[in-house]
Amino acid sequence: MTITPEFEAQIDEVITHYPVSKRSASLPLLHLFQEKFGFISDEAIAWIANKLELQPINILELVTFYPMFRRSPAGQTHIRVCRTLSCAMGGSYELRDKIANACGIDIEKWKANFAGRETGDEEHTHSTDLEQHHVHNAGHGNPIAVSADGKYSIEFVECLASCGTAPVAMVNDNFYERVDPDKPDRIAEILESRESDATKPKIRPPHPKEKRVVFANIDREGWSNDIETYLLYGGYQELKKALTMPRTEIVDEVKKSGLRGRGGAGFSCGMKWGFIKPDEKKPVYLICNADESEPGTFKDRYIIHQDPHQLLEGMIISCYAVNARLAYIYIRGEFPEGAQILEKALAQARAKGFLGKNILGSGFDCEIYVHRGAGAYICGEETGLIESLEGKRAYPRIKPPYFPAVLGLYQSPTIVNNVETLCDIKHIVKMGGVEYAKLGKPNNTGTRILCVSGDVTRPGYYELEVGAVTMGELINDICGGLKPGRKLKAVIPGGSSAKVLKAGEKYKLKEKQADGLMAEREITLEDIPMDFDSLAACGSMAGSGGVIVMDDSRDMVETLNNINEFYAHESCGQCTPCREGSLWMKKITDRMIAGGGVERDPAVLKSVADNIAGRTICAFGEACSWPTQSFVAKFKEEFDNYAKKPVPPPMPPEYNPDELIAKEKIETVPGARNGGVMAPAATK
Amino acid sequence: MVNVQIDGVWMQFPKGTRMIEACTQAGKFIPRYCYHPKLSSPGNCRMCLIEMGMPKMGPDRKPVLGADGKPEIAWIPRPQISCAQDIAEGMGIRTSSPMVEDCRKGVMEFLLINHPLDCPICDQAGECRLQEFSVEYGNAQSRFLDQKVKKPKNVELGPRVTLDAERCVLCSRCIRFMKEVANDDVLGFVDRGSFSTIACHPDRQLDSNYSLNTVDICPVGALTSSDFRFKMRVWFLKETKSIDVNDGLGCNITIGSRENIIYRITPRENNDVNSCWMPDSHRLNFKYLHNERRFLGPQIKTGSSLAPVEWPVAINRAAEQLKKYALTSSLAMIASARMTNEELFLVGRLAKALGIQKFDVLPRVGEADGILIPADRNSNTSGAKLLGLTGERPGARLPEIAEGVRTGAIKALLCFEDATRCGISETDLAKLESIVTMDILPNKTTALASVVLASSGFAEKRGSLININGRLQRLNRAISAPGEARDDWEILRDLIQAVSGSNGIYMIEDVFKQMAEEVSAFAGLSLSKIGDLGVQLLSGDGKAAERLDADQPVAKTPTA
Ligand SMILES: Cc1cc2nc3c(=O)[nH]c(=O)nc-3n(C[C@H](O)[C@H](O)[C@H](O)COP(=O)(O)O)c2cc1C
Ligand code: SF4
Ligand code: SF4
Ligand code: SF4
Ligand code: FES
Ligand code: FES
Repeated sequence: MTITPEFEAQIDEVITHYPVSKRSASLPLLHLFQEKFGFISDEAIAWIANKLELQPINILELVTFYPMFRRSPAGQTHIRVCRTLSCAMGGSYELRDKIANACGIDIEKWKANFAGRETGDEEHTHSTDLEQHHVHNAGHGNPIAVSADGKYSIEFVECLASCGTAPVAMVNDNFYERVDPDKPDRIAEILESRESDATKPKIRPPHPKEKRVVFANIDREGWSNDIETYLLYGGYQELKKALTMPRTEIVDEVKKSGLRGRGGAGFSCGMKWGFIKPDEKKPVYLICNADESEPGTFKDRYIIHQDPHQLLEGMIISCYAVNARLAYIYIRGEFPEGAQILEKALAQARAKGFLGKNILGSGFDCEIYVHRGAGAYICGEETGLIESLEGKRAYPRIKPPYFPAVLGLYQSPTIVNNVETLCDIKHIVKMGGVEYAKLGKPNNTGTRILCVSGDVTRPGYYELEVGAVTMGELINDICGGLKPGRKLKAVIPGGSSAKVLKAGEKYKLKEKQADGLMAEREITLEDIPMDFDSLAACGSMAGSGGVIVMDDSRDMVETLNNINEFYAHESCGQCTPCREGSLWMKKITDRMIAGGGVERDPAVLKSVADNIAGRTICAFGEACSWPTQSFVAKFKEEFDNYAKKPVPPPMPPEYNPDELIAKEKIETVPGARNGGVMAPAATK
Repeated sequence: MVNVQIDGVWMQFPKGTRMIEACTQAGKFIPRYCYHPKLSSPGNCRMCLIEMGMPKMGPDRKPVLGADGKPEIAWIPRPQISCAQDIAEGMGIRTSSPMVEDCRKGVMEFLLINHPLDCPICDQAGECRLQEFSVEYGNAQSRFLDQKVKKPKNVELGPRVTLDAERCVLCSRCIRFMKEVANDDVLGFVDRGSFSTIACHPDRQLDSNYSLNTVDICPVGALTSSDFRFKMRVWFLKETKSIDVNDGLGCNITIGSRENIIYRITPRENNDVNSCWMPDSHRLNFKYLHNERRFLGPQIKTGSSLAPVEWPVAINRAAEQLKKYALTSSLAMIASARMTNEELFLVGRLAKALGIQKFDVLPRVGEADGILIPADRNSNTSGAKLLGLTGERPGARLPEIAEGVRTGAIKALLCFEDATRCGISETDLAKLESIVTMDILPNKTTALASVVLASSGFAEKRGSLININGRLQRLNRAISAPGEARDDWEILRDLIQAVSGSNGIYMIEDVFKQMAEEVSAFAGLSLSKIGDLGVQLLSGDGKAAERLDADQPVAKTPTA
């Protein structure tokens, strides 16, 4: 490993992005090393630790936590296939096998070789057993299968935030959509191609029912992500306007707009900003949550790739409003092209004086940096994100006391907002809060981008006024209905953690009538208005806007197992119920699918989920248990069918104590061991 | 004071009390794994979940009062952890509602599904929180039918600590201790989710001199002491509260022994001295007590070698020899700043009776480690100063004594240290006409001695010591001295008696009594009044401290 002066200069530059704590540069440095050397060697770990004045364990902790980092080389061409629900429904398991075959990787051999965890082999973390990922959920990352000639390697990864174009794959840093496993030509093409689908211009006119605000320029003819194009169409005008307004007035406009966060929790944005004291003495930080990794969600990706300046403008306005002088865009590691586009956009904005010192002569200074994640879903949770940005494992923090607005990044007040939310800010400044609030419905204002994937004819993203369409209109009209001859079975309405809704269910919805009185009406799945409150009233949530549609060809136990695998793989492992429960639920559904389901499994599944929800550090606890709770309750018969075996008698102990005593060479003589280096003996 | 309702009863606690501590003080123990009062609170084990509520607020933003005039409580529907939040005015806590019981049961089940069935061979058995709580809160029957996660077992994390990762409950206490207390960020988690495993970087070992504290605070048998491993079931151990004698701080300790053998020493919480911690070097430094070369009785020189004799013979021989040089400048004495106050007091009397002019103690100075170990490696320098056995600069007179021995001005030496460590060469020592020494193990001085008085080690005797901060603390007997070896104070008493007649001392309490009469700092105290946590005797400048707690040392909150 040679560190050239140029490489070290690059490293030193990156470190300047983190004026408060060098440790924050851990992840960026690991990315630089992996890009340069192909993997993270022990030497690299030691070098980085030394450079950042950390202990080597601090870096090892990261390398083993973030799945994108490898401790052994991959092939020259490294392929990542999305394994998660929408892609799996689109054939990604088959796709992985076919790509492996095309690359000369003996997939059956990998499948047969269950090394690693099962034997307690210490080398398990480097296991090249691909199937281990599926069966045992490899500890930190995804086992990589490398072809014998070292040319190709392949791994399964979790949702790449393009579920509407399933199945998807990445070839090195390039991204490919709709990689049909049945089209060998397409597979050959992506293995050879140099052009990524992520940056290929697409032109797609919006559906007539759409109300394009944030997505106004997405897939638009003549549009590019360059600043000149952005300026041509009135870019950065809202920033100019905002800088003439008092900060509190912007916060007030946002409060009036009724904007609710688009990242999943739907928390009032104005209220969140209101937590920052106008006379705050500590520095305030703003973080854009661009981790987009809730399965079924694919909207931030397009803003970043196609309209990055809209995001930057929204961010700079937001920074001004909450008086943040330093902001980060935490972008998921699997968006390498997105990160580059943002870097370029930032440089352009800086060059034009929209960013940096004394922005547009206003006296306001603001700097924004891009920070890349490395494949861990939990970095989307805001406190996990903050820990990750501080250069640590993304362990969410307990709240209280660590509410980001009080004790966030570097223990300072911090605002974390989703990409879409921050883009909305620009439009609120443009329209005024009251005007914006006229979009959508009361308490559910504005537009939302709904991402539809799964079994519909026209999956994709649709920006709609919140609550303007019903589930039925969304699926049957906007998305072109189900595939021919298929019937609707279920819908997950807000990202894979939202509780599933079953076709044929009846819900009771309380609504305010024209005369101001409340009335209750019974509705079906198709009647549910697509807004926060209605979906919550129907026992699920609007979440991140990811709508996954399943038709009657889908097996609900298999579906839940796919979701369980995602959550078992993504649990950060910090708190007991989620760490143990998420894997347990996955082991049960695994066993059920393998034919080993016992009578009490559905009941145990439910009770395990019940024992997680509400008892964990972060909302991942709910995210991983709601699917199980809802699937088992709503598709009881299907689960019972998989759970026919009688419950076996209690398991015998795995090993008997005598064996272990012999194995561990247990010494029983006092003083037989030397305890290591000691201080000089006292004599009294 | 803050008013809190715990399980329906209103109580008061000082502001800043953690909820979990308030409950403990109210007699409602809350099970916990990750919480440790001396470390940060990550809230990761979720064992301490309770139901919590805050006063219900009326439309006037004032608490709504119930029929009893107390605030009504609005209970939060989700369970809350009690280890990371302080109590607040009007807060309600339920420690045993059905929801709380259900939470504990759930967490216990989760912790056990991947836990090995190792109890029969696990060192922690008997003091394992997991074992303990599973009896109290666990399910009788496991519902887990699948493969357990396999993790590394029997890993040497460092020279003194062995890891069984399968038993680890991932509470992160050990990581936090190493980072926050030992200032050596050497432990961490690798992998994630259910596969998370505690580890060191392969290039770095857990070799801090504080590593064994991680074993103490590990709530389960994941970290075990390589020294203690598999030696003894903890429930057989007799526990004796005492203090460490390896330096001037005097960490409070618990000595675990069985049938006169010490198996381990663990730190005992004392917030005025060592918090909950102690250095490895100190806790493992007890094996010399079981050294087979220990003196099993007094010996006197016959011809060119030492031979065992009965105690009266030895005492008389020693008195006879010392008297020969008494009241002359040819007799010198080297006392020890590791002796107890009682011993030093008697040594002082003996010196007075013999008219010894030249005396001092051997100073032992090392580098302070910035954590617990001070520069002074003697356990009772403060006592030696207070009782007049040395001056402001301990050891200042040793060169004079060494010179006297070298020139032959000094002919006899009463010695409570190995004189060759005090600047006297072996050759010079050999020139002395008489050496009376008291020790537990042979050394260069005992080899040349006329009389060797076989005494007791720190765990074999009682007495008091004053630490560098002026705190008076108590040694207790855990085991008895081997063979005919005797308590140091008894030997000294008999020697004084043989030199100058009866002295009215029959018990160690009598020594303390006489000392308290003569030395004002000890006035009003007795060995029993010192208590388990000691008494602040001297203030920083060595003067008598104001003693508020002389009679009843306040018991501290029990530790986790
Ligand atoms: C497990 C988990 C994963 C999350 N993932 C994301 C994500 O990928 N992107 C995101 O914007 N918010 C995510 N969130 C929500 C964030 O914690 C946070 O609420 C959000 O970023 C706040 O921004 P908003 O108010 O603009 O929505 C996640 C939350 C949880 C509990
Ligand atoms: S709930 Fe899961 S993801 Fe969240 S902190 Fe706990 S273990 Fe980590
Ligand atoms: S850690 Fe506790 S429960 Fe586990 S084997 Fe040891 S004694 Fe038993
Ligand atoms: S080894 Fe012990 S102290 Fe450390 S995390 Fe595991 S259970 Fe906790
Ligand atoms: S991109 Fe594959 S499931 Fe989302
Ligand atoms: S979460 Fe409170 S003791 Fe562990």
